[in-house]
Amino acid sequence: MAASTVKVAREWSGLALGVRRAVLRLPGLTQVRWSRYGPEYQDPQIDKEYYRKPLAQLTEEEKYERELRKTQVIKAAPATKTSSVFEDPVISKFTNMMMKGGNKILARSLITQTLEAVKRKQFEKYHAASAEEQATIERNPYTIFHQALKNCEPVIGLVPILKGGHFYQVPVPLADRRRRFLAMKWMITECREKKPRRMLMPEKLSQELLEAFYNRGPVIKRKHDMHKMAEANRALAHYRWW
Amino acid sequence: IMLKGMTRLVSRVHKAKHGEQHVGQHYSISVQELKTAFPHGLPPRFALQVKTFNEACLMVRKPALELLHYLKNTNFAHPAVRYVLYGEKGTGKTLSLCHIIHFCAKQDWMILHIPDAHLWVKNCRDLLQSTYNKQRFDQPLEASVWLKNFKTANERFLSQIKVQDKYVWNKRESTEKGSPLAEVVEQGITRVRNATDAVGVVLRELKRQSSLGGFRLLVAVDGVDALWGRTTLKREDKSPIAPEELALIYNLRKMVKNDWQGGAIVLTVSQTGSLFKPRKAYLPQELLGKEGFDTLDPFIPILVSNYNPKEFESCIQYYLENNWLQHEKAHTEEGKKELLFLSNRNPGLLERLCAYL
Repeated sequence: MAASTVKVAREWSGLALGVRRAVLRLPGLTQVRWSRYGPEYQDPQIDKEYYRKPLAQLTEEEKYERELRKTQVIKAAPATKTSSVFEDPVISKFTNMMMKGGNKILARSLITQTLEAVKRKQFEKYHAASAEEQATIERNPYTIFHQALKNCEPVIGLVPILKGGHFYQVPVPLADRRRRFLAMKWMITECREKKPRRMLMPEKLSQELLEAFYNRGPVIKRKHDMHKMAEANRALAHYRWW
Repeated sequence: IMLKGMTRLVSRVHKAKHGEQHVGQHYSISVQELKTAFPHGLPPRFALQVKTFNEACLMVRKPALELLHYLKNTNFAHPAVRYVLYGEKGTGKTLSLCHIIHFCAKQDWMILHIPDAHLWVKNCRDLLQSTYNKQRFDQPLEASVWLKNFKTANERFLSQIKVQDKYVWNKRESTEKGSPLAEVVEQGITRVRNATDAVGVVLRELKRQSSLGGFRLLVAVDGVDALWGRTTLKREDKSPIAPEELALIYNLRKMVKNDWQGGAIVLTVSQTGSLFKPRKAYLPQELLGKEGFDTLDPFIPILVSNYNPKEFESCIQYYLENNWLQHEKAHTEEGKKELLFLSNRNPGLLERLCAYL
């Protein structure tokens, strides 16, 4: 059924290939976010290692997949995803959240300055420390960044649910992507609002990241506050129906 | 002084023995020597690197070696030769100049180092009308700061050199003929209003006396294109000031002329601090302008270019030895190829890339 509707779409003159008609998935719900690509479009394979594997090493499935991709239509790769070895999806997501008004250059430069600041601070500590402590000090800014964000992720969240004319804050398990989003959002708002007047963003961010890495600091406190609220509203957990 | 390179070499005996085979290897300068040889300060990114690694390591490169060779074979009876280091942004002109200055300081030359001439033609808070010449302007802050640093750099010479004229500063103070140069410098530091004139006196005395041969003088100016360009400074009635109306610049121009013997003049032209010059300009003709080029005319240009493959490898090895490249992928071949592509072997860009990796 779906194939015939797609074929009909192809035969329409004047319409570009792959433009999807508005498909209503559920009655009463409209799609808010959609892409201009049809379902037949495959995601681009950006990984360099995938293409470097010599033909002899491929299994049957992988050979079949390669042949298949030769005939399929593939979406265009976004400009932000590179095949660079130094690329990090977490950093890209964080820069997108820091960006204001589409100024990606500024956001990216702030992030690189933050990583440099973190690195220099850790090197200072390393040179000042004794031999045993030197083994414990982490100098890689990327591990510090990832660990700090992981430490800031809440385990459980609150969702406002309407019942009997009132909104109740109900504790709810959060999906992975929601948790990562909340950690990054809290970090950015904290650095933007509680910053002393003349301090620059990279310095404040590096401070907050280092404190979150050691499980102290205001962002971790906010996570604990969220957990305490969830614990306090434990009785309302029955209002959740999913 | 230790030389670190791709093959872990043992300590060098004397820096004068740097030769062709040491291209690409690093040598370190101890922290005390930094304070005496570079009181004005190193370029800010390099100073950060020195602070982080707790050691200052410069790479031995061909332009600097060429200049050292010329300096070792200078004939001090002939007028001073002018060398101009030029190149694109970030190729290492300022650090090559620092290498030369350190070498000359080790050889006991007198160092006249202006870290950045562009700072004297822009962003000046207080301009006073000069006491010596009504047409010119004084810059007390910059002059006094420079005199303080000059004192730390050349302590031992200041007591030996004697002034050959009487200088009257104001009704109560004057310097007699035959008193040591240190007094003039003290006068400039304590009486900030006369600091610019003190600088002028110092320059004139050094020029006169280096021809007599008691000491060898090295004039090292970074950003010499500021002397002949335009300034962003304005008078009270908002009319622009030309560089020759600033007393510091006027005296410095006299210093850079090659009518004295007994030393050498090493200059750098750079677009980074320059005013009203296009971003892609790096040749001496473009940056100095017609007037500057004609004044400096018989000079030896030395091109400072990007790293060659050996120097690039050596730089990456240096960062790896200091554990500066912390990213896991930076140690691999893939990572190095990527760094090469992104930086195009430009030293400045490579430093900035490795800072956050």
